Amino acid sequence: MAVIEVKNLKKNFRVKLKEKGLKGSLKSMVKASYRTVEAVKGVNFEVQEGEVIAFIGPNGAGKSTTIKMLTGILYPDGGDIRVLGIDPTKERKKLAYEIGTVFGQKEQLWMHLTPYDNFKFFGAIYDIPDKEAEKRIEEIKELFELQEIMNTPVRNLSLGQRIRCEIAASLIHQPKVLFLDEPTIGLDPVVKDSIRKLIKKMNKEYHTTVFLTSHDVSDIEKLCKRVIIINNGELVMDDSMENLKYHHLNKKIIEIKLAKMADFSNFDGIKVLKQKDTNFKLEIDLKKKSIADVLKLIHSDDLIDMNISNTPLEEIISEIYRDGVKV
Amino acid sequence: MKKYLYIFRAEMMSALQYFSNLFSGFIGYFIIIFILLNLWNYIYDDPTELINGYTKTQMIWYVIITEILWKIFNGRKFCRQICNDVKGGNIAYNMNKPYSYIGYVLSSHLGEGLVKTVAYVAVGMILGKIFLGTFPSHSVSSLMIVFLSGLLAVIIDALCIIFISLISFYIEDAHPLYWLYSKMILILGTMFPVEFFPTALQGIIAMTPIYVICYGPAKLFVDFSMDSAIHIIIFQILYVLVAYALCLALYRKGVRKLNVNGG
Amino acid sequence: MLTAVKNQIKVTFISVKYALMREMLNKTTFLMNVIFMILNNASFILQWVVIYSLKSDVGGYSFGQVLLLWGTAASTFGFAHFFFKKSFSLSDAITNGKLDSYLVQPKNVLISAITSDVEPSAIGDLIYGVIMLIVSGLTIPKVLLFILFTISGGITMTSFAVILASLSFWFGRADSVADTGNGMITHFATYPDGIFHGISKIILYTIIPAGIINYIPVSVMTTFDVRLTLLVLAITVGMTALAFLFFYRGLRRYSSSNLMIAKI
Repeated sequence: MAVIEVKNLKKNFRVKLKEKGLKGSLKSMVKASYRTVEAVKGVNFEVQEGEVIAFIGPNGAGKSTTIKMLTGILYPDGGDIRVLGIDPTKERKKLAYEIGTVFGQKEQLWMHLTPYDNFKFFGAIYDIPDKEAEKRIEEIKELFELQEIMNTPVRNLSLGQRIRCEIAASLIHQPKVLFLDEPTIGLDPVVKDSIRKLIKKMNKEYHTTVFLTSHDVSDIEKLCKRVIIINNGELVMDDSMENLKYHHLNKKIIEIKLAKMADFSNFDGIKVLKQKDTNFKLEIDLKKKSIADVLKLIHSDDLIDMNISNTPLEEIISEIYRDGVKV
Repeated sequence: MKKYLYIFRAEMMSALQYFSNLFSGFIGYFIIIFILLNLWNYIYDDPTELINGYTKTQMIWYVIITEILWKIFNGRKFCRQICNDVKGGNIAYNMNKPYSYIGYVLSSHLGEGLVKTVAYVAVGMILGKIFLGTFPSHSVSSLMIVFLSGLLAVIIDALCIIFISLISFYIEDAHPLYWLYSKMILILGTMFPVEFFPTALQGIIAMTPIYVICYGPAKLFVDFSMDSAIHIIIFQILYVLVAYALCLALYRKGVRKLNVNGG
Repeated sequence: MLTAVKNQIKVTFISVKYALMREMLNKTTFLMNVIFMILNNASFILQWVVIYSLKSDVGGYSFGQVLLLWGTAASTFGFAHFFFKKSFSLSDAITNGKLDSYLVQPKNVLISAITSDVEPSAIGDLIYGVIMLIVSGLTIPKVLLFILFTISGGITMTSFAVILASLSFWFGRADSVADTGNGMITHFATYPDGIFHGISKIILYTIIPAGIINYIPVSVMTTFDVRLTLLVLAITVGMTALAFLFFYRGLRRYSSSNLMIAKI
């Protein structure tokens, strides 16, 4: 079942143009000039129930704009959105009961209150009866391991603890879809990892559909089975993580350490990325050369160490951003 | 002297950028003058009537001037800035600079004030002309004296606020003191000339800064005489000297205290 | 429908309660804010003592009525700024994308946004209003009317602020316009309406609704008039409806934090 359906979605922003300096300020005050920027230019996709999907793109690509239209924050200029069959522009409140949102850079919690009071507040917002709310808070406390910080005011918590509480608070009403906008931004690797585990656990336990935007490729790699890439307001890719790796992983990186000097510079399909004495880092284009071809070039007696790896996902993605590969 | 001029100019430029705020300030100013115009129209039975020695026209010109001064003072922001400097330790940082702190804040305050002065004097004169039709009779030299008196008023007010703010060296929060001061100026200074208060109170007010900050310049504008001009200007100059000396003394003492405490 | 309203009221009250708790974290500052506001309002009595020494009636108001006028002005202002503080900085929330978190909640966006903070000094205004009511002479009907008009006036004042702030949806930064408009009401509301004539009087009962918030209530509290009371209530309802209409119309143009300024 499709939980999110997006058809030909469009959004334009009016950008105010301002000339530099005092004269520019005065001029823009008298008569402001505007330019229309198409932030999202007719985007189509679907998300199935229970999926964990990554929605990524460089800054200004339109990913935040899209997520804000899906959650009912922004009003689209064209196209059609259905989240759980609900149109966010027409039934914003009805949709709000069914979805959860976490915006990494924006605080939804009251800083001077404890997580417990905050959860109670969210319980009231979603009209959950007190008794039921208590039960759910108890459950979430266990799942998110919040026992020790339950009665500490949020402003005294670390950033990681805070984000954990933000996510917990967005689950009080047991949403069917969770929108996470940059949930791990500014966190250290250990905390990032625990947040990822949490998202995974939640997806498994509650079968929550997760729609995630992130700059952090390892977030995506560890969490998502499907990736949608947006750039300049257009979808440039919508594919499973496996396919993404398969299609774009036609290159291998070989690092070798030799006993004797060798020369790899004149072969088609082999690129020397780095060389220091007899240490080489080579990129092999598998369409032109196989690994076996490369190994034939090396005398096995000279080989001291060897390491074969895939191109890092990060590089694949930035390549897609650059080239704008059409789906 | 050049450095003060530079500080003065920099502040003036940034004040220009707040042009749009100035505009909403004009509307606020217009509203106050409009309300007071209606109030005095109601209280005066006919235009020739004198209340406490003032005709209706003089009374309204009086508030046009005091409200201009009040707009230029903008004391709350000024007080907050100095209190923050004292509390945040910025004042110690300024100590190592080759200029005096009081000179610095005073010239920056005056720079900001100049743009407002030009703007509000223009607006005030236009409003007066529209509402009242006539200007008080003045010669070029008497107008210059009124302007000088107004400038001295702004300097005295600034020095008073600096003095109050520097008390933050000794107390937790000087804002309540500023608040009392500003209320005194607003209620006793800008609304009515001194003559409107009971005789006993008049003597007291004449000794407070109200006399040199609000009453002096406004009185000279609506009813100029050389005798009162000399009297008021001498008073104002004395006030400037005494207030500056007091500020300097408090500043030196305060900074020493800061150093002892390792501020 | 009824449960929805009940739930909305419940959330609003929790929100106000939590915001108040936040302000009370620093008790000294909190109390100072309240006390100084009372003193601030009280200092203006001096102005009126001087004015009434010149003439025994000003704009048809006795000295006692001016006190009641000040009381109503303070209490309506206090009510609006205590419960709906954020409506007076709503323009900023609109242009800087601070409505996002209210938009994803299943509650009324406007109500959530404007009740998310309280102004401690507004309590001082409310207290001052009550003091002036007591000074001007207590009767039970007067007390009831005072409560009614404090609420209706506070809501009208808030609606006025929301309408002005909603202009930001169409014209970008409108905060100085909103501030000016809100300031105007307060300025006019503290002077008797009898001193104004002609167009300015018409404006005070229409565009700048100081008449609805203050003048009519003071007159009704002096000599009761059912029709004027109903008129005030009808206009309050109308203004509130208009505020919601403006805000929700504008909300479609809300651009979150995506509003950009391009520098050439």
